[in-house]
Amino acid sequence: MEIFCLEDFKVEFEKLFSKKPYSTLESDIIDYFFNKSFPQLCSGTRLNNSEKTPYIKKRLKGRGGFRFYFLLILKDESIYLMFVHPKTGPMGSDNITDESKAYLYKKVLACIKSDDLYKVELDETDSKLIFKKVVPIDP
Amino acid sequence: MACLSHKSEIENTFSDVRMFSFLEKKSSMLDEEKINALLDTILDFKDSLIKKTERIHHINECIEKLTWLNDLDEECLMLTNDLISAAKDLHSSLIRQYASMSYIRKKGIAKDEIKNFKDSMGELKEGYEDLESVFFFLPKIPDFVETTRQLSLV
Repeated sequence: MEIFCLEDFKVEFEKLFSKKPYSTLESDIIDYFFNKSFPQLCSGTRLNNSEKTPYIKKRLKGRGGFRFYFLLILKDESIYLMFVHPKTGPMGSDNITDESKAYLYKKVLACIKSDDLYKVELDETDSKLIFKKVVPIDP
Repeated sequence: MACLSHKSEIENTFSDVRMFSFLEKKSSMLDEEKINALLDTILDFKDSLIKKTERIHHINECIEKLTWLNDLDEECLMLTNDLISAAKDLHSSLIRQYASMSYIRKKGIAKDEIKNFKDSMGELKEGYEDLESVFFFLPKIPDFVETTRQLSLV
């Protein structure tokens, strides 16, 4: 599956990853999201009652207790990482509100339509994330 | 006279030490039993906490799975609502239990087990709140519903 993310996700990732208590974030993302099939990623809390485009909140265990919000699109075999926050540690926070969930959901659709996304890939060692800005195709 | 007084003082101390030593030698076995009983009680406490935490984890997984059910009818929604109320009630009871462990927590007994128990309680709360969002709150947000509709056309 191809992995994309919103600017919000990238900003949050960089902010968290620079902090020692969240140093496992990068490896947590690689372990959970990369080289997985659509059914393998269909776990966690489905927020939108959709089989083909599930909007998922996933709790990952570990030091930060990260909560990931992402969208899967079966037809395109794509993952769209929308937001991440830790539950514990110095930047730990409560769950995001329903309004924020709706905002992110609306935003990801707008970003998909306008190609305002980053493609998330692995470096040659398969241990680091690379964020590449998607270049919009002219209509 | 002074010599006698010294002798008596030494004898008294000797007698004191002798008696104390004797009693301690006898009581060491008793203390070991008491310590073993205490350790057994702590192990039992840890074990019950581990089992309780595992059960909460299982319930959390079941609640999460319910969010993957499609098109629930009124009856199922009502049942889900009852489930959310029961889970809230369970959470309150568990919180009370956790609060009653404050003395044990302060003493550093079963530290990891109590932390895992607390984390699982937090996840239970998160689980039923998410369940409530999925079936009762998010479907009432017009932007949310419209985004789902548009995505179904992608």
